[in-house]
Amino acid sequence: MSDESLQLLPGTLYMLILRTLAAGPLHGYAIARRIKQCSADALDVEEGSLYPALNRMLLKGWLSSEWGTSETNRKARFYRLTREGQKRLAAEANEFDKLVSAIQLVMKTA
Amino acid sequence: MALLREIYFKLRWLANQSRFHSELADEMQFHIESRTEELERSGISRAEASIRASREFGSRMKAAENTSGAWQMRWLEELFSDLRYAARAFRRNPGFALTAILCLALGIGANATIFNITTSFLFSQPSCRDSASLIAIREAGNSAASMTDYKFLRDAHIFDGMAGINVEREVNWREGDRTSRFYAGVVTDDFFKTLGIPFLLGRGIAPGETDTAVLSYRIWRSRFAQDPAVLGRKIILEGRLYTVVGVLPENNRSIFGFGVSPEVYVPVAHDDEYVQVYARLPKGRTSAIARARLLAVLEQLDHIHPYDTWKRTDKNTRVTGVTGFDLLNQQMPGAVTAFFLMLLIVVGLVLLIACTNVASLLLARASSRSQELAVRLSLGASRRRIVRHLLAESLLLSTLGALAGLVVDVVCAKLLNRLALPLPVPIRLVIEPDWRLLWYSLGLVLASALACGLLPALKAVRRDINNALKQDERQTARTWNLRSTLVAGQLAVSIVLLAAGFLFLHNLLRATTMNPGFDVHHTIWAYTRLVPEKYAYADPDQRKQMALVHTALDRLRSLPGVESAAIAQRVPLNDNCVIGTQIQTDVPSSTPIHVQYECNNVGPDYFRTIGVPILRGGEFSAADRKGSQPVAIVNETFARTVFGQTDPIGHTINTNLPNDKPKLVVGVAKDSKYFTLSENQRLAVYEPYFAYNEPINLHFLIRVASSPAPYVKPINDTLGHLDATAAIETKPMNQALTLALLPSQAAAITLGAMGILGLALAAIGLYGVLLYSVSRRTREIGLRVALGATPADVIRIICRHSLTLAGCGIVVGLTLALFAMRPLAFFLVPGLSAFDSTAFLAVVGALSAVALLATLAPAARALRVDPLTALRYE
Repeated sequence: MSDESLQLLPGTLYMLILRTLAAGPLHGYAIARRIKQCSADALDVEEGSLYPALNRMLLKGWLSSEWGTSETNRKARFYRLTREGQKRLAAEANEFDKLVSAIQLVMKTA
Repeated sequence: MALLREIYFKLRWLANQSRFHSELADEMQFHIESRTEELERSGISRAEASIRASREFGSRMKAAENTSGAWQMRWLEELFSDLRYAARAFRRNPGFALTAILCLALGIGANATIFNITTSFLFSQPSCRDSASLIAIREAGNSAASMTDYKFLRDAHIFDGMAGINVEREVNWREGDRTSRFYAGVVTDDFFKTLGIPFLLGRGIAPGETDTAVLSYRIWRSRFAQDPAVLGRKIILEGRLYTVVGVLPENNRSIFGFGVSPEVYVPVAHDDEYVQVYARLPKGRTSAIARARLLAVLEQLDHIHPYDTWKRTDKNTRVTGVTGFDLLNQQMPGAVTAFFLMLLIVVGLVLLIACTNVASLLLARASSRSQELAVRLSLGASRRRIVRHLLAESLLLSTLGALAGLVVDVVCAKLLNRLALPLPVPIRLVIEPDWRLLWYSLGLVLASALACGLLPALKAVRRDINNALKQDERQTARTWNLRSTLVAGQLAVSIVLLAAGFLFLHNLLRATTMNPGFDVHHTIWAYTRLVPEKYAYADPDQRKQMALVHTALDRLRSLPGVESAAIAQRVPLNDNCVIGTQIQTDVPSSTPIHVQYECNNVGPDYFRTIGVPILRGGEFSAADRKGSQPVAIVNETFARTVFGQTDPIGHTINTNLPNDKPKLVVGVAKDSKYFTLSENQRLAVYEPYFAYNEPINLHFLIRVASSPAPYVKPINDTLGHLDATAAIETKPMNQALTLALLPSQAAAITLGAMGILGLALAAIGLYGVLLYSVSRRTREIGLRVALGATPADVIRIICRHSLTLAGCGIVVGLTLALFAMRPLAFFLVPGLSAFDSTAFLAVVGALSAVALLATLAPAARALRVDPLTALRYE
């Protein structure tokens, strides 16, 4: 974990994982790497919270998982967005947009 | 929905925990290896890359714990730990735990037993393959259809098989020179095949067979000593040879329900038989479609074999299921269902008393544990957590109580299954614990856990922590507290139970001593059943049967000590026949009146023999026989209802029944009871026995000069000499009243037992509260004694407390009882009011006596208080 990486806002990890998986199934390591890459190394998902989060999402039925072979030809568990998860992603993204623009509005005008 | 899915996922997780853990380990291993490779590609040595990847990942154990934490059911695991904790606490205090479990075992055991009896009697599940696809067919609402109709329906092939049975038949079974009467089920030859009834030995009667028989388990046990070689044996029934082909299992329940179980099954022998019709629905067909198709076939039947007075396609023609409420609605009189409902309510009250006892014990325990609870609260345990912990204690108690209660139920069921009810129908209950009982017990466990535990638990956490930590609870003892309220409530409920018990006991006494309107102390009833093959079928004019009856009567009358003998079609209080019709008299200007009356055909001397006085006119004579002027004797109520003030003698009555002729009234008999002791006075019409063709079941009534017991054997022998194939049962008339007394007896026994159980439980509660209050007031009593109180003063303190509790209980209980007893009037013999002052007085007396008993030990304990020891607490 590098010092310059940002702390995740509470509750946004689910949304980030959902968004990452929207493109297609990935395994846990790839999810972490993708988030890091897409945020230009600004966001670093702690492994200690990634797997509990993935499991809670499985439990809520937003994700499903299956074992497959990774790009390095190893056995890995792939996570896939369910229909429920897609709905959830849309809802959360929408809400987050509203929240961010509201915060920005306050920060710029007040 | 989302919650259900979560629970489902969690349960799946619980089942596959070990796989989950190994997969999670694999997954994390993969993560670290991938990271290692990535670092390696950036030019770091493999060893260092591996170390860095592991460090970056952090503690794998913690990650694994957090991950599986997402799946766990915290409440379930907490519940288990609470239960473990409670079990440890109970082991430390076994006296408390045993008392509580015993109270609950009695309460839950009584409930489970009554529920088990109710379901096996009212909702008997027939021993058939796939009973859900079976239906009962009732032409125009009639319970039975003729064999002609049955065959026509069967040959129409609108069902996946049909079955017909007549459970109201008897057969004579001859073994050597002894003949006995058995209850038989006469079945169609496809009965066993269609219903798919399981067998213990052999098989059912097969289509086309006419001389095979199936035995019930109890006949196999009592007559064949459970000999497996019984298959293939020949038995003589009704003078014909039958081959035994099968034995039913012990727990066989007939399709008829209500515990009705024939002792042997034989095939239908004649086309003039009537059977109850059952059919199996083809797969996927609803009973509505089945009814429509059935009506189409019945319409054809109405064309081919029309009935004069009714049509088979009547709106009352019904197709119903053979289980559950379908069966209940069709067959059972409301009074019986209401009685079982009342029993369930009464045992529910008993359980309530038991729960109150346990609640009271838990309250006492909570107040002596208040310091422990206060410490836990102040250390940060949430109130919810403590309430849950205390509820887990009562859940453990009620579960253990229920387990013990189920043992009570199994023992009671064993005893009841052996009981042969003295009824003129073959009713044998098969009471077994089943899934319905299991669910019910589970409900009882939860309900009683809440009833026992909720109040004490809420009270325990509502206490002020500061006070509880600082003070000893002893100093805040009040005389009247929640426990006292509970005990007064218990006493009140037990008053209601006792009042009901006494009421039904009184009812039984009244019923036993009630005059049925005829003499049961000097009469003997000899029931003779002839073999139909020798009489009815061989002799359409019944010359042979009538000759036998006359000879029998002559021989009976010549026996020493016999005053008179008569024959009757029915014996009152054992069998009845009700006719509803329009009556027209020949009194000028009279109008037809619709009445329902009891009917019976009786021979000469009947009224003298049975001890019913003829008020006007006279008895039938030997001249009243086939072909002579039709005559009748009516009872007072009939005379008053139909003729009013006019003397009916010499007038005729005419019914609108088919083929009936006007009858000349020759006598008016005094009113008596006809079918039940508790019936309201009914109308009755008697006709001459020898004027009609009579069934082969002969009921001889004999009047003797003194106590009837010594005459039974000579009478039995006299009738036995006349025809060796006849089955004869002779008994004094007062023994024959068992059927009439059975409802009163059953009610008195069950409700009396419940009342006593409730009182005993309430007494335990009163005793506990008094004893506890003495122990809490030790210091106060000690102080009083030190200040000069005499032993009499001490006893007065305790008795005042006890009297206050009992007094409140009695007042509240009597008020409740006044309302609760009102609906019970439905079950009582006429003339007995539900507001039975004797019962109320007896109840108050019993409760006071028990309260006094429960006060003795606490008072003795208070007297032993030593002022020095008591005051040393300061």
